[in-house]
Amino acid sequence: MLTLFLILFPIVAATAVLFSTDTIAKTAALIGAIGELVIVGVVFFTFVANDQYQFGFDYAWFGAATNGSSGVRLSGAIDGISLLPVVLTGLVTPLIILSTFKQTYTRPTSFYALILFMQAALMGVFVARDGFLFYFFFEAALIPIYFLAAMWGGENRIAVTFKFFVYTIFGSLLMLVALVYLYRQTPLVSGAHSAAIADFYALNLSAKAQGWVFWAFFIAFAVKMPLFPFHTWQPDTYVESPTPATMLLAGIMLKMGVYGLIRLILPIVPEGVNIWGSTAMILAVIGIVYGAIIAVRQRDMKRLIAYSSFSHVGLMAAGVFSRSEMGLQGALIQMLAHGVNVVGLFFIAELILQRTGTRQLDQLGGITRNTPRLTVYFMIILLGSVALPLTNGFVGEFLLLSGVYGYNHYIGLAAGLTIIFGAVYMLRMYQKSMFGQPAPRTATFVDLAGSDSYVLLILCVFVFWMGLYPASFLKLTEPAVLNLMQFIK
Amino acid sequence: MTFQTYDCLQMLPIILLSLSGIALLFLGFQKSRALLLPATLLFLVIAFVANFLDWGKTYMYFRDMLLVNNLAMIFTGVVLLSTFMVVSLSGSLADDEDAQPAEYYAILLFSLVGAIMMIGFENLIMLFVGVEILSVAMYILTGSDKRNLRSNEAALKYFLMGAFATGILLFGIALLYGATGSFVLSGIGNYAHSATNAGGSMLLFYVGMFMLLIGMLFKVSAAPFHFWTPDVYDGAPSLFTAYMSTVVKTAGFAALLRILSVSFSGVYDFWWVAMAVVTVLTLLIGNITAVYQASFKRMMAYSSISHAGYLLIGLVGLSQASKPAIAFYSLAYSLSTIAAFGVLMLVARNRPLNAAVFGDQTTLARTDEHYDAFNGLARKNPLLGFVMAVSMLSLAGIPLTAGFWGKFMVFSAAADRGAVWLLVVAVLMSAVGIYYYFRVVIAMYFREGQTDTIRVAPFYRIVLIAATVLTLALGLLPNLFQGLI
Amino acid sequence: MLSQFGIMFLFILTAFAFIGGILLFGKLLRPDRPTEEKLTTYESGEEPVGNAGVQFNPRFYVVALVFVLFDVELVLLFPWATVFGQPTLIAETGGLWGWFALTEAVVFVVILALGLAYAWAKGYLDWEKPQPQLPTVATKVPTTLYEQVNERYKRPTTP
Repeated sequence: MLTLFLILFPIVAATAVLFSTDTIAKTAALIGAIGELVIVGVVFFTFVANDQYQFGFDYAWFGAATNGSSGVRLSGAIDGISLLPVVLTGLVTPLIILSTFKQTYTRPTSFYALILFMQAALMGVFVARDGFLFYFFFEAALIPIYFLAAMWGGENRIAVTFKFFVYTIFGSLLMLVALVYLYRQTPLVSGAHSAAIADFYALNLSAKAQGWVFWAFFIAFAVKMPLFPFHTWQPDTYVESPTPATMLLAGIMLKMGVYGLIRLILPIVPEGVNIWGSTAMILAVIGIVYGAIIAVRQRDMKRLIAYSSFSHVGLMAAGVFSRSEMGLQGALIQMLAHGVNVVGLFFIAELILQRTGTRQLDQLGGITRNTPRLTVYFMIILLGSVALPLTNGFVGEFLLLSGVYGYNHYIGLAAGLTIIFGAVYMLRMYQKSMFGQPAPRTATFVDLAGSDSYVLLILCVFVFWMGLYPASFLKLTEPAVLNLMQFIK
Repeated sequence: MTFQTYDCLQMLPIILLSLSGIALLFLGFQKSRALLLPATLLFLVIAFVANFLDWGKTYMYFRDMLLVNNLAMIFTGVVLLSTFMVVSLSGSLADDEDAQPAEYYAILLFSLVGAIMMIGFENLIMLFVGVEILSVAMYILTGSDKRNLRSNEAALKYFLMGAFATGILLFGIALLYGATGSFVLSGIGNYAHSATNAGGSMLLFYVGMFMLLIGMLFKVSAAPFHFWTPDVYDGAPSLFTAYMSTVVKTAGFAALLRILSVSFSGVYDFWWVAMAVVTVLTLLIGNITAVYQASFKRMMAYSSISHAGYLLIGLVGLSQASKPAIAFYSLAYSLSTIAAFGVLMLVARNRPLNAAVFGDQTTLARTDEHYDAFNGLARKNPLLGFVMAVSMLSLAGIPLTAGFWGKFMVFSAAADRGAVWLLVVAVLMSAVGIYYYFRVVIAMYFREGQTDTIRVAPFYRIVLIAATVLTLALGLLPNLFQGLI
Repeated sequence: MLSQFGIMFLFILTAFAFIGGILLFGKLLRPDRPTEEKLTTYESGEEPVGNAGVQFNPRFYVVALVFVLFDVELVLLFPWATVFGQPTLIAETGGLWGWFALTEAVVFVVILALGLAYAWAKGYLDWEKPQPQLPTVATKVPTTLYEQVNERYKRPTTP
């Protein structure tokens, strides 16, 4: 039942915010998000580390059998695989809301309500146990983020976000076809098919059918993450969106794709992955290198982070397709770590923009002089992002790389470039913006205070927590991953 | 010969609607027009209730002329509900000096009789009579804006093309009769079963079947028989366009479903390729052409073609599952189309006449129905914006709305038959569909424009809200409807 | 062996041949002395004016429609009358049949009559003579001047 509250609570909160007044919308939204975080906390600390689904709910929804079972069901629960994305969603959303406390957005009630609706949809994606419920939330998450980006975005927002919207919908429609197909393949139980994901696992499809289903799913998730060559919507959308929306996109929504790879593709079409996995892996690695090279050349901070995110997610996908326990564990922990890091980085880019009016690296510099807090927080998050040992990024990337390396040495080597390139572009960004002589725009830079500072502080705590004691997360995911491995072999 | 005592409850909607149509005509002699609208709505409610009185029973009327069963009742319910909503959006007719609301309402009710016959026919003669009653009424309503040149053009076009299609339909029926010796659906179906098994030439049968199908496909505006649709939908007054694109389509598909499932299911292998080709063509033409429209109303015309394509998918995947699928899809489609036209009528009425654009006298009365008319609508009129956005989402088939489950159901019907490639085409075209449906959403929410607050009559508002709530409710709980079937 | 359609075909052929033969036969037999009087369209003496594509007053169509409607009514009532009086049917139903058939016919006729009454009440049957309206022009030139001009340059009327 707790899972149902995870989905419903943000919806209730969002509705309340929507009908509140402009002045209290911000606070109301924060209270709602913190309430959700409390539920997530309860889930996290009472979660039993086994391969079972927990806190579940299950209701007939559509096309149920005569005895009320099977059909398309409203069923959701949390297992080790969905736990970390759920934690990420619960953790990051209040931080995103808190990060807007020093700014004013027009029509705040709609703005914050949309963020909370988004959170509900994301929660739904991560806990859904039914294929169509998954799809339902997968699409539903798109609508609030689209409105967020297109209503509060930058100059070119309409065209850019529209491209993003059509692109991702196109991908997920292919997934819908695959789901309908799978649904109709499941055996009839008292006159009804079943859309439960677990029943999809048990299907025995021909290799050819698996190939088609693989691509239908893969394109949907590849657009969402995005993977090369489906990424062309991403940088523009990240740049044009208001920063809270960018954080949602990069911090959480991107993980929907990775989660989909793990939850749906690997176990449902193992044979398809066998045939096409290497192609997908190569695409992912091309994305890693390509994204990293472009990131090195960027001057706009937000765009640089966008490309770095593109590069990182490629590594996650490669780790998933290595089909090893290490790769999967790495992908799961890295989902959380990357979410924390990228939200921090985008927030810092936004802070710098607010204080200097620019994100162009060549117009910045020398910020460190009077900003001890920002310097430290920025450094910590940045080191997490470049995967320095003892930070969260290291755990994930290490596991991912060992997984990929075990799959194929050369691919592992190419994927390893991400660490080197990552260090190059991240440190370059840091150096250009923080060190050196103060530029005219940065001379009067004011250090962080209040809510801004708390956001980064909390993020930094997580960077170290996950870096120093990753077992607190890994031990929760391990049984579920091992269970999943049975379907892959 | 003996008398059969008919349990005539099921015939009530047809009788009631005919009588109330006549009554409405005479009500029109009253000085005040205020009574007409509530009277029509009352008649529709009575017919709606009467329709469901014998729920769960199956009757055959007039020596195998009309069949009434649950499915027919549901389709009739959808048609009556759509009409109810369309009529309740017609409040402005009473203020229009040139309009003849009494006659319009009467014609609407008469046309419903035709629609109900098309839904429940068991004999091809009844199909023909139903099609004609519905079509003739539509020809008149299309041209009801008498001073408007485009309305006249549309009516003439519709009439000529429609008469031609009716001829083909009739010829098909005649040939089928020649081949099978029966007008009764099940008789034709028996012939199809036995003749395919016996071998031998069935040329006459097949030609008749295809001519019948062509006639019907014309009525539901499937490509390549769709050419009349954009001009007619565009030229007709928006109110009647809404009626045409929902009721006529629903009735047409109910009729197609009946004839395909009862008479032609035995020769499925023969027609399904042709129908699949028509489906693909309809989807391609409807969706791709809709992208290039500057006028919202014209876009809706093409969108109605494309939805005919999605409904056809349900027919191509003919099975038990397609019956609820098509019924649900019709309902979802009707709800959102009517809501969208409702908002369009408000917006268009609120815009200054764009005489500068068209200049000449005859088109002066043309209101602005372009996408630009929606610019910035949601700022001042959040309710209208929301209603329109939900309709567009539903038409685009986005989850949370009824349209999604409609698509899901027709798709799964086709997936049963293994026509996955058809689904891929349909899905690609849905992505195209999102493009044009979202232009409205973008215009309403993201673009700047000077719109003032639009005054909405309370009842009008209630209907719009009801359509939206129903769309969302069916999107969240499709079981509400599915439980009925 | 002829099929059913073959017989139809022969029937059609025979019909054409018969008509052609009769016409030919008449042509050969009758005296042929055409005069101008005989060749006019209406032998009653009415002079045809202009071509056939002239515009009719739309009221003609309304009357024609109403006429067709009642014509069709008669077409139905004739066969109805034969069934109405069938003694076997009446005997089998103990006289109920007559009432049933009568009611049906009455309903049918009443609906049509209602339609006629509606058209009547709406004034569709009134024959309004169109009143030619002279356009009024705001000008300082007196109308008499125009009349003088018209009078002077009047076209000679055809006899």
